[in-house]
Amino acid sequence: MEHTSLAVRNISKYFHEPQRFQVLKNISFDIKKGEFLSLVGKSGSGKSTLLYVLSTMDTDYSGELYIHNEYLTGQTQNQLAAFRNLHIGFVFQFHYLLPEFSALDNVMLPALKLGKKSKEEIKEKAVENLRLLGLEEQASKLANKLSGGQQQRVAIARALINEPAIIMGDEPTGNLDSKNTQIVFDIFRQLAAERGQTIIAVTHDEEFAKKSDRILELSDGKLL
Amino acid sequence: MSRSTNSKIAFAHLTSRVKQAMVAMLSVTFGISMYVFMNGFMTGVNDTQTDLAFSTLAHIHIYNDLPEDRSDLAGRFYDDSHLVHIRHPKTIQYTEGIKNSAKIISAVEKQPGVVGMASQVNINVFFKNGAAKKNGVLSGIEVTNEDELFKTSQYIIAGSWGELSYRNDGLVIGVGLARKLSLGLNDNVVVVTDDGVSRNFKVIGIIETTLAGVDNAKAYIRISSARQLISKNQSYVTDLQVNIEDFEEAQKVASTWAPSIDYKVESWMEANGQLEAANELRNIIAVTVSLTILIVAGFGIYNIMNMTVNEKIKEIAILKAMGFESKDIVQIFLVQSVIIGIAGGCVGMVLGYLISVAINHVPFEVATLDRLPMTYNIEDYLSAFVFGLATTFIAGYLPAKKASKVDPVEIIRG
Ligand SMILES: Nc1ncnc2c1ncn2[C@@H]1O[C@H](COP(=O)(O)OP(=O)(O)OP(=O)(O)O)[C@@H](O)[C@H]1O
Ligand SMILES: [Mg+2]
Repeated sequence: MEHTSLAVRNISKYFHEPQRFQVLKNISFDIKKGEFLSLVGKSGSGKSTLLYVLSTMDTDYSGELYIHNEYLTGQTQNQLAAFRNLHIGFVFQFHYLLPEFSALDNVMLPALKLGKKSKEEIKEKAVENLRLLGLEEQASKLANKLSGGQQQRVAIARALINEPAIIMGDEPTGNLDSKNTQIVFDIFRQLAAERGQTIIAVTHDEEFAKKSDRILELSDGKLL
Repeated sequence: MSRSTNSKIAFAHLTSRVKQAMVAMLSVTFGISMYVFMNGFMTGVNDTQTDLAFSTLAHIHIYNDLPEDRSDLAGRFYDDSHLVHIRHPKTIQYTEGIKNSAKIISAVEKQPGVVGMASQVNINVFFKNGAAKKNGVLSGIEVTNEDELFKTSQYIIAGSWGELSYRNDGLVIGVGLARKLSLGLNDNVVVVTDDGVSRNFKVIGIIETTLAGVDNAKAYIRISSARQLISKNQSYVTDLQVNIEDFEEAQKVASTWAPSIDYKVESWMEANGQLEAANELRNIIAVTVSLTILIVAGFGIYNIMNMTVNEKIKEIAILKAMGFESKDIVQIFLVQSVIIGIAGGCVGMVLGYLISVAINHVPFEVATLDRLPMTYNIEDYLSAFVFGLATTFIAGYLPAKKASKVDPVEIIRG
């Protein structure tokens, strides 16, 4: 258990609208620290829903969620927000950025919120992350002036800024060409291997999934 | 660190919607400028009214009142089983005026807060010029004291006030009274008292105060001439007029003096209840109108901030997903309202001042006024600002609270 990064026990979730329907069915699994995990399954199988539960954003479920052995189920929204800020980096399925901020500001924001480093250090780190993802040219552009693929990479750079223990991505390479997909994959690989950061990525990309450490497959809300 | 981050986001929101922010700001500006203007104007009107009233009215008036009605004297000693009947009961005033005024004057002079005092001998008389005859009040006054208290000399329209102090036969007459008696400067007028004593005076000044009670029915002479006219001694006084530092305190001061003075001690509020009431009413109108306008401004801000929250709901969800807590979100939106409030407030105070100055220049030639009155109280400006800020704070808090309750999953899921 000491090397467990994240554990879930008997997670179930229902949607009540438009009719009562069980979207997650008794899901239990562990993820080791530094593991690079792919979550696959047909469209509508519940991958995004599961990821929101894991990210602590969705608290409307039954079952137990542990991250770093900390029992998170039932904590208040504010406690969970602080926890997310410190431990979890999230890349959304639809790469949301703050449109009135530059790419650089977007990347810096979670670190400014955390407030552990000076602004200069944060900026340096943000620039480095952008360079890693091939975006050094775009740093000062407003987020809504970037292409879809560029926005997605900015979102990845943002997810990495606080060096979170766990990085979660909902199709983080969904909008990227093969070259950039490869770059992102290599970054994830490196973070997992060298820094022991845990990666959980939802993907439809079989190639991507195969190269990761482990694949979890969802079907109709059940783990296969 | 996180506070300045929140402010930065708030600022970005504001600058991305300059137009809406301006509209919200203008509604605060309007509210605050109206508050400043309304209060300045009403206080101006009140001050003018009060000034005018105090041109004949002292803060505290000491005089010999009619004794209490004691005509039911016997009834107090017999109960209902007796039939008591006294024929034609009357209350008789045994003493007139204030007899030993020197003692009272020196007692009043020692009181704290007294800034001026004038003795008067007021007599009801007939003024005659040939066949023309008119009744009125002849006021024997101490020329310099009277002027200090009531600034009487500034209402002189012909002749001189100061001359009274050395002219035993000099008389200053109300403009209306003079007209009715066809009197001009240096004309002679005959004064006849109740007791039939008559004496000649020379008109050495004409006064116009716009107060009918003075202009149409009053004349001034030296106090010593008045005493002579009714054969009273040097310390005889009918009315003592006293001014104190703060006229608002008159009521309180009068009631503390009353026990130690044998005569009636009356504050101006008691004598002129309607003046006080009118002042109060104008203040209430000013406050009601300006607060109403501020509340309307508050609704404006509420509306616009609500729109902002709806517009930015995705970004709120992202911020929360990244770990911004509810209080951060509240802060982000509250800072926006407060910036709008402060900016609107500052511009509002300046605009309010400009409107006040403009209104203050509008000609208004009625009574002693020639322009619309206005006061410029720093307190009005500050309280307008504080009220404005409080309004924006409350109006901004509700949408901010709503924003902080956004469920990120629901928004991000789409
Ligand atoms: N808010 C909601 N209310 C009701 N049903 C929902 C809601 N969100 C999702 N669902 C349903 O839950 C199921 C799982 O949705 P989810 O978004 O997790 O699928 P997914 O595996 O991420 O699919 P995709 O690969 O297309 O992103 C779907 O059948 C979807 O219709
Ligand atoms: Mg999905």
